Amino acid sequence: MTRLLRRIGGWPVAVKVPLVVAILMVAISVVFSNQILVRLSQTQQRHLEQLASAYLDGMSSSLVPYVLRDDIWEIFDQLDRSRERYAGLSAVYTIVAGLDGTILAASDPHRFPSQAQVPRTLTDRFMAAGDLALAEDEGLAFVRRTLSYQDRSVGAIYAEIDIHALLAERRQVLLTLIATNAALTLVFAGFGYLAVRRMVRPIDILAAHLERGRGGRIEPVPLTGIGSKHSEFGRLFRRYNALVRALSERETLAARLAEEEKMGSLGRLASGMAHEINNPLGGMFNAIDTMERHSDDPLVRHSSLQILKRGLVGIRDVVRATLFTYKASGETTRLRARDLDDLRVLIQPEVGRRRLALEWRNELPDELALAAGPVRQAVLNLLLNACAASPVGGQVNMEAAVDNGTLVIEVADQGPGIPPEAANILNAADVDPSPPKHGTGLGAWMVNRLISELGGAVQATQLPAGGTLIRLTVSAKQNVGLRHVA
Amino acid sequence: MSGNSSRSPQPSPCCAGSPFGRRWILGGLAALGAAALAGPGRATENRSDEIRFGLTPVFLNSDLELLTRLKAYLTASVGRPVELVMRRTYQEITALLLSGYLDAAWICGYPFIQYQDRLSLVAVPVWRGQPLYQSYLIVGRESPISGVSDLRGDIHAFSDPDSNSGFLVTQALLADDGETPSTYFRKTFFTYSHRDVVRAVASGLAESGSVDGYVWEVMSEIEPDLTSKTRVVRKSEWLGFPPIACAKAVRGKPTTERIAQALLTMSDDAAGRQVLDILRLDGFTPGDDALFRGIAQKYDQVRRLG
Repeated sequence: MTRLLRRIGGWPVAVKVPLVVAILMVAISVVFSNQILVRLSQTQQRHLEQLASAYLDGMSSSLVPYVLRDDIWEIFDQLDRSRERYAGLSAVYTIVAGLDGTILAASDPHRFPSQAQVPRTLTDRFMAAGDLALAEDEGLAFVRRTLSYQDRSVGAIYAEIDIHALLAERRQVLLTLIATNAALTLVFAGFGYLAVRRMVRPIDILAAHLERGRGGRIEPVPLTGIGSKHSEFGRLFRRYNALVRALSERETLAARLAEEEKMGSLGRLASGMAHEINNPLGGMFNAIDTMERHSDDPLVRHSSLQILKRGLVGIRDVVRATLFTYKASGETTRLRARDLDDLRVLIQPEVGRRRLALEWRNELPDELALAAGPVRQAVLNLLLNACAASPVGGQVNMEAAVDNGTLVIEVADQGPGIPPEAANILNAADVDPSPPKHGTGLGAWMVNRLISELGGAVQATQLPAGGTLIRLTVSAKQNVGLRHVA
Repeated sequence: MSGNSSRSPQPSPCCAGSPFGRRWILGGLAALGAAALAGPGRATENRSDEIRFGLTPVFLNSDLELLTRLKAYLTASVGRPVELVMRRTYQEITALLLSGYLDAAWICGYPFIQYQDRLSLVAVPVWRGQPLYQSYLIVGRESPISGVSDLRGDIHAFSDPDSNSGFLVTQALLADDGETPSTYFRKTFFTYSHRDVVRAVASGLAESGSVDGYVWEVMSEIEPDLTSKTRVVRKSEWLGFPPIACAKAVRGKPTTERIAQALLTMSDDAAGRQVLDILRLDGFTPGDDALFRGIAQKYDQVRRLG
């Protein structure tokens, strides 16, 4: 029953409303039909009583003299002739009995011979029912009238009346009612279906837009063809369109903020990178000076060239890592172990500046079915935050591995712990499509958003010994984010 | 013995089932007015030269066409207006005849014998070539009764206590064995019409009945549906056909003679033959009191038993 109701609950309104109309119509028609049939039945019984009464009265007055004289021929003759006179009554038989219940004459003497007793089965019918007993299941009515002369009872008339015609009429009325009501119910349900379908068409339009919006960009609903703009649906559509616009604005804002965050990270990196490039530059210039002064000494020349080469290799690595991280979006590549190692280079200045010990364990395979960009961006963000949070001389850990087809990356620091708001944002299962209003937790929101887009999850936990452990898990079996990989 | 003869006047039940339909005939009878249905009280209004001719239910007097044609024939043939006077019982017609109210009447052989000293024959109908008929004992078609001895304990329908074929013959038959209808039958009743005896037996109201053989035979031509529900178990010997009689005092009077002449020459006249055709009769014969000797014997037989 509950399942049925739940299933019906899932039907369209255009079906449910006509169904309710039909059910109400059926209920009303049942009540009215019952009333009509009860009234018809009462009217028929009254008419039957009147007709039977007229018949019995007429018969009584003509029969009494013959009953007094025990003239069975005249009694029979009267009964026989009354068949034509009271043809409308459909009397099956009529019996005239004396005071002692002996049959004087009956309209059907073969069945009820004279001088026999009136059958008990007949007299018993009048025990409780008075002078009119109905047996509708047999299609019969039984009437009785006492024959009186000078206030004395001299006998009785019994008649069995065929009421099949009355019952047939009642049945006919019932069938007509059922047919009419069924036709009306169908017509009303049909009209109801069409009317409700027309009425809920805007909802279908809205539902179609929402469905389309689920898979991509949400678009506003055109306001043409939905009737008056002041109608319920006119107002609803305008509100929906306003919502769509607000969401679009938030999306744009979020994208811009993300970009800004990226650029912010870049800024921090830039100074470190400048420092990283500047460090070898001093040594390289010294090497060049030495070579100019001692150009004829092959040993000095060789060692100076080695210094120059090492300096240039360091500069090349820094530049390459930066270029790879911040190259234009859209060029999605698969994640490789080297991509993470590049990050190590990128944070090296920050590590060095804060004299941190970096524990780096990269056990990723050569290539994973995951977009490299979002993962690198998220991990870089976590590493920079870990570096920033850890005290000077502290330790930052990075572990990356694939466990049962799932990429697991853990970044741990020895900082004072992640702020609760940022932890909530990181741990949120459904990442808010719009960035946090007050700026705090923007990085956490970014990380969660990037990983959520890959179908993964982020979990931030406070370490018992102090510090924070942030774990990223992304299924490496999915090709999320690799749609455009060539 | 149930039934009585002092009942209130009412339309003859023998009208039912005639070829013309009962209602039509009742209406027609009413239309006939005083000419056919005038009672004794209205007799004084009749013209002094009008002839009053009585009819009993012994024959098929219910047919309006018959009444009209018979009246027209008699009027034309006698040369004087004729009033047909009908009563329900034999006794009433016999009384009117004996009183001199009627000039002649078609009565039964039984009252003719009963009042033989006061009545004279005018004419006797000829049926199937002879002025004779029989009394039938009939039972229902499905009845297992095969003979008279099986009738004991029946509910029996008689026609009229003054009818030969509808009462006297059976009464005499039982008297042979020292029985009377009231001792032999469980119950008896009179229908005052031969046709109604057939109806009573056909419907099952009576298990057996005594009926005029001539009436039953004619009915089996006109109403075979009714007579087919009955079966004849005994036919009596041939007896004198119900005659047309007059008071002895008026026998030989010109009026009586003219009536006799009209009847005896009926078969010679086209209008008369139409009447005879309806009655299924061949004609009329002057007859002889000896024709009714058989009935007289039965009457004596019954009287002896007391």
